[in-house]
Amino acid sequence: MRHSIIMRLVTMFAAAALVVFSLIGTMLYVVVKSELLRHERDGLVTTFNDIQYMVSHVGTAERWTHVQAKLDMLTPPDGKVRFWIFSEDAQYSYGKDLADLHDFDYDPNNIGRLRIKGKKFPMHTLTKVLPAYLDRPAIRLTVGVDTEPYFETLRTFVAAMIGLSLAGMLLVVLFGFWIARAGLQPLKKMSNKAQTLSPKTLSERLTLSALPDELSDLAQAFNGALDRMENAYKQLEAFNADVAHELRTPLANLIGETQVALSRERSAPEFEMVLQSNLEELDRLRSIINDMLFLARCDQGEAATSLVETVIADEVQKTIEFFEFVLDDMKMSVSVSGDTMASSQIETALFRRALTNLLQNAIQHSPAGACIDIGIYAKQEQVQVAVSNPGRPIEERHLPRLFDRFYRVDTARRDFNGIHGHGLGLAIVKAIARMHGGTAFAASQNGTTTIGFTVSGKAA
Amino acid sequence: MKILIVEDEHKMAEYLCKGLTEQGCTVDLAANGIDGQHLAIEHDYDVIVLDVMLPGLDGFSVLRALRTIKQTPVIMLTARDRVEDRIKGLHDGADDYLIKPFSFLELLARLQALTRRGRVQEAPQLRIGDLQIDLLSRKAYRNNVRIDLTAKEFALLAIMARRQGEILSKTAIAELVWDMNFDSNTNVVEVAIKRLRAKIDAPFDDKLLHTIRGMGYVLEPRTDSIRAPYPDGDAP
Repeated sequence: MRHSIIMRLVTMFAAAALVVFSLIGTMLYVVVKSELLRHERDGLVTTFNDIQYMVSHVGTAERWTHVQAKLDMLTPPDGKVRFWIFSEDAQYSYGKDLADLHDFDYDPNNIGRLRIKGKKFPMHTLTKVLPAYLDRPAIRLTVGVDTEPYFETLRTFVAAMIGLSLAGMLLVVLFGFWIARAGLQPLKKMSNKAQTLSPKTLSERLTLSALPDELSDLAQAFNGALDRMENAYKQLEAFNADVAHELRTPLANLIGETQVALSRERSAPEFEMVLQSNLEELDRLRSIINDMLFLARCDQGEAATSLVETVIADEVQKTIEFFEFVLDDMKMSVSVSGDTMASSQIETALFRRALTNLLQNAIQHSPAGACIDIGIYAKQEQVQVAVSNPGRPIEERHLPRLFDRFYRVDTARRDFNGIHGHGLGLAIVKAIARMHGGTAFAASQNGTTTIGFTVSGKAA
Repeated sequence: MKILIVEDEHKMAEYLCKGLTEQGCTVDLAANGIDGQHLAIEHDYDVIVLDVMLPGLDGFSVLRALRTIKQTPVIMLTARDRVEDRIKGLHDGADDYLIKPFSFLELLARLQALTRRGRVQEAPQLRIGDLQIDLLSRKAYRNNVRIDLTAKEFALLAIMARRQGEILSKTAIAELVWDMNFDSNTNVVEVAIKRLRAKIDAPFDDKLLHTIRGMGYVLEPRTDSIRAPYPDGDAP
């Protein structure tokens, strides 16, 4: 069974009520019991003192008969109070069933209990020996009080206590149910609202102001998740659109050019020109698809394999050599700075590919004659490679998105010196960094653009 | 060279057959795995081009069956570029692996590499028209005039000269000269070719370094203006 918060709360309320009622009940029982007992004792002592006073100064047989008559009168008909007097002289004895009662226990305080035939509860007794007076020998006076009312009261009290406790618990359960439901109302509202959210209403959020403090954290976290999802969703949509667009342009060229070529009689060299041009477009398509497949493989978590411990500066040098002629043409120079002894576990082909993309990017965005710097920094487990070039400042908001697929800061600027970049270069840098357990980063400060990546020396 | 192509994609089978035949190869075609396996085992081929996804019997099974009997070199073709596939293919005994879309030039180069294995070492001197290249002293002469080349320019020239008449794609050049084993999307190769051309061709009338648009570059003498678009082949 799925557990419901309401049921949980109600059960906990009921348990709490049970504990509280039991404690209070037990304590009340103890108090009432001792109070009743004290009350009864007081009565017993008072009665005893009266009788003792009456009996102790009687010393003649003649007056003793008066005493016996008085005791008879004082004994209530229901036998709730009884008197016994024991004496060696039978004349001075008094009370029913004297023979049975000869010795019964009483404690040093003279308090005792006495069971009498036909009575449900024992009698509480007070007994004292009175010294001889005139003709009368020493006598032992016992006063007994029936405890039935005492036990009856106690029993009624316990029954009432249990009944009230059960009723109270029932009430607590009912109130608890109502309170829990009312208390959880905001949660229900939030869940209803969350249920209405769908991909169509992607920008809708839970309203935080209407929610209690306890839920606002959850709602905030939920909204945060929605933000990220919306971003991812939008990126995916934009990505699909970008892919379609990137593929559409060369396809349009291919279709159009071929149709134009076929619409007239043409010479072989003319057809050859068309085929060559088509081949260029096809190559562009192939290149986009290959890069996208590369990124997809990386997204699926493919890590760099065949890692080799390599001095990073050596690889950097090889990549610079690759651009030697281009740099020379553009009158640019590249310097390598930082920790030139740093080494790390890398897959060299991937590393070169990333650095080639970065260097290509730096060359494209620098003015002729610029000096590009490649900094190598080893920190902890990671080695960072950063390519800096003088260039137009890039707005802060673009920086983290530079590594997004097909992202362009300047949508108009596409071709450079006949190279058609298709906007995946930096995405590939990031992917390669990730395959090496590193990250990619970009910064733009004081007219210097720095883009780089880290490798962690282990495959991710 | 006798080649078996096992490929169910009609268009691809057709152009491979045509292209390779024009290169002077004898080509047999099989359109499914069962026929392919039968032909591969019954006949002796110099090399087999084997698609992975085939009707009847997939390429891996064909390869395994073949390897129990003979060691004909095999190039696998696949549209799926997954590491596991590559490993599986190579583990099962494939000699090489090409991912679709591949360029015809690359297939040719790989086929040649497979059949060229164990050939004798090349001569230290190369000659293309009046261009003379000494691979040992790393010097180049045209008409006995020393051409001053940087190390990388010489490396580029040597690589093109070794494959004279063969079209080399930009990617292949980047790989052979700079060890850049990927589509680099840069203009490095164009710039390098331009420089080399300025040194070895510009001062002379007979041009040796030619651009084949959309494909790459070729180093060859073209006195009669008839060009051979494919390496080692008869001009069409």
